Amino acid sequence: MRISNSLNVSETVYEPEVTRVKTKLIVNEAAVSHLLLAIAMIAGLFFRIWQIDAMGFNTDEAVYAGQAAAIARVPGLMDIFPVFRAHPLLFQFLLSIVYRIHFSDIAGRILAVVIGLGTILVTYKLGKLLYSRLPGAVAALFIALMPYHVIVSRQVLLDGPMTFFATLTLYMLARFAKTQRPVWLYAVGVSMGLTVLTKETSIILVGGIFVFLALAPEVHTRLRDLIISVAIMGLVIAPFPMSIILAGNSSTGRNYLVWQLFRRPNHPWDFYFTVVPPALGILVLIIAIAGLYFLRREHSWREKLLLAWIIVPVVFFEVWPVKGYQYLLPIAPAIAVLAGRALGKWILQARGTRFFSPIKTFFNQPAVFWMITGLVVFSLGFSSWQQIQPEISTQFLAGTGGVPGGREAGLWINEYVPVKAKFMTIGPSMANIIEFYGERPAYGLAVSPNPLHRNPSYDPILNPDAQIRNSDLQYLVWDSFSASRSPFFSDKLMGYVYKYNGHAIHTETITVKDQSGQYVVKPVIIIYEVYP
Amino acid sequence: MIRRYFIAILLTTMLVSVPLSPVYAASDSSSHQPTTPIQHLVVVMQENHTFDNYFGTYPGANGIPAGTEMPVDPNNPAAGYVTPWHIGNTTITDLSHSTSTFNDQYNNGKMDGFISALNSRNQDGKLAMGYYDGRDIPYYWNLADNYVLFDQLFSSAKDGSFSNHMYWVAAVSPSAPKGVKLSDVLANTPTIFDSLQAAGVSWKFYVQNYDPTITYRDVYNKGNRESQVIWVPLLNFDRFIDNPNLSSHIVDLSQYYVDLRNGTLPSVSYIVPSGASEHPPSSLMSGQRFIKSILQELERSTAWNSSAFLLLYDDWGGWYDHVTPPQVDLFGYGMRVPGILVSPYAKTGYIDHTVLDFTSVLKFIEQNWNIAPLAQRDANSNNFLTAFDFNNTARLPIFLPLTRIAQAPVKKDPTPVIYLSYGGALFLSLSIIGIANYRSKRKKTDTSREVSES
Repeated sequence: MRISNSLNVSETVYEPEVTRVKTKLIVNEAAVSHLLLAIAMIAGLFFRIWQIDAMGFNTDEAVYAGQAAAIARVPGLMDIFPVFRAHPLLFQFLLSIVYRIHFSDIAGRILAVVIGLGTILVTYKLGKLLYSRLPGAVAALFIALMPYHVIVSRQVLLDGPMTFFATLTLYMLARFAKTQRPVWLYAVGVSMGLTVLTKETSIILVGGIFVFLALAPEVHTRLRDLIISVAIMGLVIAPFPMSIILAGNSSTGRNYLVWQLFRRPNHPWDFYFTVVPPALGILVLIIAIAGLYFLRREHSWREKLLLAWIIVPVVFFEVWPVKGYQYLLPIAPAIAVLAGRALGKWILQARGTRFFSPIKTFFNQPAVFWMITGLVVFSLGFSSWQQIQPEISTQFLAGTGGVPGGREAGLWINEYVPVKAKFMTIGPSMANIIEFYGERPAYGLAVSPNPLHRNPSYDPILNPDAQIRNSDLQYLVWDSFSASRSPFFSDKLMGYVYKYNGHAIHTETITVKDQSGQYVVKPVIIIYEVYP
Repeated sequence: MIRRYFIAILLTTMLVSVPLSPVYAASDSSSHQPTTPIQHLVVVMQENHTFDNYFGTYPGANGIPAGTEMPVDPNNPAAGYVTPWHIGNTTITDLSHSTSTFNDQYNNGKMDGFISALNSRNQDGKLAMGYYDGRDIPYYWNLADNYVLFDQLFSSAKDGSFSNHMYWVAAVSPSAPKGVKLSDVLANTPTIFDSLQAAGVSWKFYVQNYDPTITYRDVYNKGNRESQVIWVPLLNFDRFIDNPNLSSHIVDLSQYYVDLRNGTLPSVSYIVPSGASEHPPSSLMSGQRFIKSILQELERSTAWNSSAFLLLYDDWGGWYDHVTPPQVDLFGYGMRVPGILVSPYAKTGYIDHTVLDFTSVLKFIEQNWNIAPLAQRDANSNNFLTAFDFNNTARLPIFLPLTRIAQAPVKKDPTPVIYLSYGGALFLSLSIIGIANYRSKRKKTDTSREVSES
């Protein structure tokens, strides 16, 4: 990175050297790009709203929707969900505005979908800015159908909106690099601030920005502009700590940070390597990498930008002990753009030779481009289609969708269980769902009484025996998802069920295939009434 | 003089004890269907507190008047005065609550002998002026917030537990002429349970830690368990001890939970405690837990939607209360006692000022199940139907906590701060991006204009 202190603001558009291969276009790029973009938006919308309401919220969705409901002062929820928990509240703030107009779980998911569609559009703009329309449109198509983005942007999670703002930041940064106008660097500060204001872990991406500026000497950055940009980012982020302090909850964020720093790993080291590539699309990854290799002679600051954006969070989250399915979502648009670049460049440079030609020229065929693009689109679409089906399982990976039976169990509680009745679940995940749909306080047995070993957002049950005996805990909830993750606490909870004459009063079941391929009905959530 | 007084008591007793209708003849049970949505009445009788002692500072209730001062000696103003004080964790004792203590405290209606009556019995009279509030009995105050609190409920007799429990079941005072055994008098005294039995209306008398061997016949040397005979007045009736058709209805409290679970809760349930009675100086929290467990089990049973739960206190226990009890006959009323009604049809946070006593419970049973009054007292008493609102559908039950809801620190509403700060950040962001975009477009326009001009 070269920091220039001189007033070297070029009023003309700065255009780093880009190899423009003068080829005879065999397609009308604008028309095809617009067509692909339209397909991307329509397909993106379809994949994101198909059966969107088939299953209720998972635990994280319940928390964020609950916070938004608390901000919107939704009766029944505002006293159960504390507004300030772990993360900043930009998305919850936006959702609360929606909830003031109409409160339902699907309203939250629709907002997530709209933001997801926004990401597709920004990805297109990014690809178009960095390369041209066609790579942008192909990237948009990929992100529209990519299972990773489809799955997450169907849910009330922070990662979808965070990815939108992160992609916007990337776009702003590209505009700055391309034009060298400081105002775009300030815009980078703004959009990066919004990204952090959506989810604080995205602060890692600031590292990506600095790595890019350091590795791209052709992008001139004045120290003063950089400071202003960082200051603007700080100003935009300020509501996060400010609102916590003003509302008298200053210890919340601090406790959460301490817990995050010292908590134990929740997934093995190879988690991302096994989970993320299929979610991104193996073919998309291969094409992106192949493009980097075969087009290496054309490399410029553009690839440095995208690679820095990808590598920094990947390295960080791989090293960081706490892992989550959706944590790496912000890299998806960058990968899609790299893949779009590879395919887009290909078609733009293709020459109209015969289809059946020697291997050397075979890959120079436009038809091959369309075939490969079609294959990638099909594989992404097929994978996404499979994952958005309300197919149900007795196990569950956080961040991948709704919890079967969770909403139904919660609504049953809401209708039939006494107001202010208290529930004990195996872990906090089911507790959140019960609190959202059931509007009754619920506590996870697995939440450690040791403050160093628990998420500070959760209250532990210090003495379940005493609380059951004193009629302070009246219902116990067993669920197969938590039981598969915490067999110890599942057994412990069932011990209380037996000890206190537990009587099953409601069961949610699902039909799943057993090992022999037969469909069997299995209980996934059982609500017990206990009698001290 | 004494003899004339005794005869007067005896005659009055006999008069008020006369059954107003036959109670032993079986009748058509179809004519005894509930006249209200209440198909299950559960009444719990706790021990020894006045209304002012528990709810004297409860907002909106007829509580301790401002400026209250109780003379240490009504006949000697120079002895000083004691103002009501919060008991909190102060050690208390079982205050005298005999008829003579009542008379001294009542002092012919002047209601100024609460301290002197105890002082004269070698007790610390100042204790009588102590009161509890939501800090000490949070559960009951929470119940009052959400259901109905009666502030004109009087104990039926100006006496201790046994008399008042007798009014609760038979609407009469348990008096026997000299030389006549009480059991002989009671042999001809109808109770509400005789009436219910005859009417085919189900009933049970649930007793915490019930010991069937403890009856009036074998009550001595049982230590604290002797109270079972007082708090379960039916154990003074030979027929309720010997007749299995009746005695089988007196059961241990554990059966209450079984009945709730099996959906076999009877129409009328009387419940008395054993150790968790709140009788001074026992733990108030223990009593609240006891009531909470009874009530919560009712709330989550199938009976809830057609139930009414009544919490009563049998006598004043020697505590101060500022309302002069009306004297309806020679035996009562006694001082005011706390009373709370919980029901899916109970009004919300309502303070009922209807003048009631324990025979009002009998009145409700009699009117709800079409049963004739037992005696003059219940025939003349008021019902507590004013506490219900049967026009609304049954409310979902509420599991109220053992901590005071109203005292929970009021959370600052963070909404304005969030809308201002996050909205401000969003506005700032959009402005800067908008400016960047506008300047970029203007630059492009200028450039293209320059190009075209050149």
